Amino acid sequence: MSDAMEALYAERLERYVTALRNGKPDRVPVRPLAAEFVAAYGGYTCQEITQDYNKAFDAVCKCAKEFQWDACVGNMVYVWTALTQAMGMKYYASPGVEISADTAFQYLEPPEDAAYMAPEEYDALIEDPTAFLFNNWLPKVSSDIGPPGEANTFRHNMALVKGGMAMLQYFGALGQQNARLRQECGTPPAIGGMLKAPMDIIADKLRGYMGLTEDLLTIPDQVKAACEALAPHLTHVAVALSGADPERNVPIAFWMHRGGVPFVKQEHFDTIYWPTLKKVIEGIWSHGHQTLFYAEGDWTAHLEAFAELPEKSIVFHLDRSDPVETQRVLGKKFCITGGVPNALLAYGSADEVRAKCKELIDLCAPDGGYCMDASAIMQNDARPENVRAMTDFTVEYGKY
Amino acid sequence: MHEQPEAAPRANPGRAPGVCVPWEEKRAEFPKIMGDEAIVQRTWEENDQLAYMFVWHCLLSF
Repeated sequence: MSDAMEALYAERLERYVTALRNGKPDRVPVRPLAAEFVAAYGGYTCQEITQDYNKAFDAVCKCAKEFQWDACVGNMVYVWTALTQAMGMKYYASPGVEISADTAFQYLEPPEDAAYMAPEEYDALIEDPTAFLFNNWLPKVSSDIGPPGEANTFRHNMALVKGGMAMLQYFGALGQQNARLRQECGTPPAIGGMLKAPMDIIADKLRGYMGLTEDLLTIPDQVKAACEALAPHLTHVAVALSGADPERNVPIAFWMHRGGVPFVKQEHFDTIYWPTLKKVIEGIWSHGHQTLFYAEGDWTAHLEAFAELPEKSIVFHLDRSDPVETQRVLGKKFCITGGVPNALLAYGSADEVRAKCKELIDLCAPDGGYCMDASAIMQNDARPENVRAMTDFTVEYGKY
Repeated sequence: MHEQPEAAPRANPGRAPGVCVPWEEKRAEFPKIMGDEAIVQRTWEENDQLAYMFVWHCLLSF
């Protein structure tokens, strides 16, 4: 790596980490979580970057070089569909296979009567979550993997071997991608991994959202016990991710979606979602890692709860939460990121984007502690000229 | 806002985080370890952790 590139990397990392710790860097960092946008910008289809991660890596590097972002994710299109296909996973629609080649991969909510976990399976999950995943869950989400006691098949064996080998290969390649971004682009990683809150896992991958909401009404104690059983495993996985960021510079992202308004009642947030997530966050923080609350949707009703966390332990990402309230309640304790509506990036003008960026910087970044980004991951509808406007305006106007 | 009760400790924690097949279970399968038991245990647990991370990343990441 050239000395100039290493110096650029160090300068950006300092800027980004200072803001993440709610400090005042030399200017507001630009840290877009760019997903399928990199495909559209780089001349690839969604299928190409989702199915072949090397194409995704190339597309990310092109964006990092040409936009000169302060930090980015090595591959924000995190689901490598060749892996999920190797394992026969049923819950994704892959671009170019089940859906058009230019549509981002889709998560398929299971029918209520065919959820990937039945209500009567809560006890097994609570008793031994890891064994449950191998013995109960994988056989339901995979078309190839069979449950214990059932006749073994060649496809069963292949799904496990290929899935394990593919995951090892992919995670190794992600490490190399971060090194490439550093050497070729001088760009630090934006996050150190991606996880979910316990109740979001139950909604996303086990019971489905409809199943979860029914369980919250009929068997809330079991939902809570399941979240408590999942929590220590999430802390363990998060801390294990520190191998990718031994200096604990960047946060571990938590995708938060089903615990906010209007998906569950305040009572269920207060008694299940938040206490079980809070324990995980505190556990991660005790190991020195920040968490990025990637708070999809509107979390304004829950800001006071988040303010209970130790200072600097989280970074709060603005999607549809009220920016004024977010800054008032959280701004003194935590860094805030994001807030540029994706619809504006897709359908607005460059002037409108610049006006929104000014509003966010004036509100959230008077004394540092803010990173510019879209409200949600940028997909292939974001217009390059608007992403350019967001980037260039922040570099100019965001100087301290 | 509703009161936030402390999460009660679970009665049966099952397999510990990071573990699929505990070393104690595997150790019982060896009649006698002639050399350094610690290196066998360490490498068993390192490989076991890979299986653990595999299934949890299937749930969380893929």
